[in-house]
Amino acid sequence: MSGVEAVDLCFSYGEMMIVRQASFELEAGEILSILGANGCGKTTLLKCLNMLLKPEGRVLVDNLDLRTLNGRDLAMLMGYVPQIHSPDFPYRVVDVAVSGRTPRLGFSIPSEKDYDLARKALYRVGVGHLADKFYTQLSGGELKLVLIARALVQEPKVLLLDEPTSHLDFKNRVLVLKILREISKEGISVIMSEHDPNLASLFSDKVLLMMNKGEIVGYGHTKEVLTPENIMKVYGLNIEVFEREGARYIFPKLRG
Amino acid sequence: MGFPKYKAALIFSPLILLILYLSVGKYDLSFDSLEQLLFSDSIDRTIFLNVRLPRAVEAMIFGASMGISGASLQTTLRNPLVSPYFLGISSGAAFGAALSMAIFGYKNFFLIQPSAILFALVAVSLTLGLSKFRGQFSPVSLVLSGMIISALFAGFLSLIQILVEPEKTQAIVAWMIGRLYTITWTDVKVSAPLAILGIIGLLYFRWRIFVLSMGDEEARSLGINVERERLMIILLASIATASVVSVTGIIGWVCLIAPHITRFLVGSDPKILLPASISVGASFMLLADMISRTIWSFEIPVGVITTIIGAPLFLYLMRRAQNEWR
Repeated sequence: MSGVEAVDLCFSYGEMMIVRQASFELEAGEILSILGANGCGKTTLLKCLNMLLKPEGRVLVDNLDLRTLNGRDLAMLMGYVPQIHSPDFPYRVVDVAVSGRTPRLGFSIPSEKDYDLARKALYRVGVGHLADKFYTQLSGGELKLVLIARALVQEPKVLLLDEPTSHLDFKNRVLVLKILREISKEGISVIMSEHDPNLASLFSDKVLLMMNKGEIVGYGHTKEVLTPENIMKVYGLNIEVFEREGARYIFPKLRG
Repeated sequence: MGFPKYKAALIFSPLILLILYLSVGKYDLSFDSLEQLLFSDSIDRTIFLNVRLPRAVEAMIFGASMGISGASLQTTLRNPLVSPYFLGISSGAAFGAALSMAIFGYKNFFLIQPSAILFALVAVSLTLGLSKFRGQFSPVSLVLSGMIISALFAGFLSLIQILVEPEKTQAIVAWMIGRLYTITWTDVKVSAPLAILGIIGLLYFRWRIFVLSMGDEEARSLGINVERERLMIILLASIATASVVSVTGIIGWVCLIAPHITRFLVGSDPKILLPASISVGASFMLLADMISRTIWSFEIPVGVITTIIGAPLFLYLMRRAQNEWR
């Protein structure tokens, strides 16, 4: 299939199981949100997908087994946006963005063409005006967008994002998710971890709900997964479900 | 885009300083006729070609090696406080060189350098090994480990001085004070090839060094083999450093201060920082050695000058850059 397929992914640190038999399929252009409580293994699962960790099981992108690829070939298929990036040196924003070309450049220095691509990607995610600033001076939201631009410059088939909306205000959250939606429409599969179930269901095609120690509680379309029973199981919360204009919203029940 | 001014300045500053360096000194060379200076059989010619020129060349190679090694290590290890000296590379090299002198004699140039490189690598491996915590090099522990290893090898070096025969002690002590006044063409021939190899290698890696400074996981997700390439960069920096230290002894601060002056002038982007640090390092050493030759009635070892200029200058640059370093 064209898209991503994960088959029975397992990962443990020593004795401790972090990811337990995670499987999913994602068509090209679809968005998958990984939901779950803090510390349940969302980040670990993402790192298993791009082989930063070495999981058991298989990950296929366009039917290509990622374990058979070297780092450079893998980087041409998958972009990765980390949750936290701590800038150590005052680099220009456009230089950071252009580093997404690395797998296609090898040891050579990026050309004017590469810089054009980087500038375009920065405009695309709405931070083009910051291109020549130092990225040490950016806000958390701007920095996140720059890192998304860098991943786009990689021209990947799959984009992995570790909590792309964390530390962002309400407006920037929606902004980032809208941009991801647009990106996915070009045939890029997007896999992200997310905390807000409502934002996840608004912006994704599928969700994967994880529980402590990597147990997969549910996987599939939002309606089937974010049920009161599952939410109770994962978060220990009673919820109410509202539907409006075809979208489905859940809220914690505070009384009763 | 035209040819930036800073590029021209960086290319010409070592050349201008070289001409200045060659024309000043205790012995007043007559520059009336360049032909006479270069081809006639005179004292002037000997001093120019066999005393000043090799010394100037070694000063430049030393500064260039230290400049680019320091800049590369700072960027790769994401720590503006590290340098070949502060990671123990210089002390390891000095110990290795002294050990070779003690065992094989101080005139055996071609054994001194391999020993210097070997112990430079031993020292830097120890430093990195000590500071590695959960697979990461924490900035503080890196600096502390470097100081510990540096001190350890300095201790071993003192031990060698005490244990060898008096005649050798003298030679080792004279060599240990970082200086350039004993440099001959032989020293240049011994140190230049590997130093230049290290410099070219680091230049070749400059884009990868930039990406490595984004952090291990991000570099890996951009297709870089982090462990292997970081090791290559440390290896190249150690070879360049050890090659020059094996003939000059430890001349402190250049490896820290040259990259920081460069950072101050052209910014932190390794694409520009690395080549520029070669020029700044070479210029800094020419200037420092010129001072060491001319300021007093006798020569002051250049290591003394670099430390006296380096320490306060570093303090100044550190204060200016504080906002950017976090």
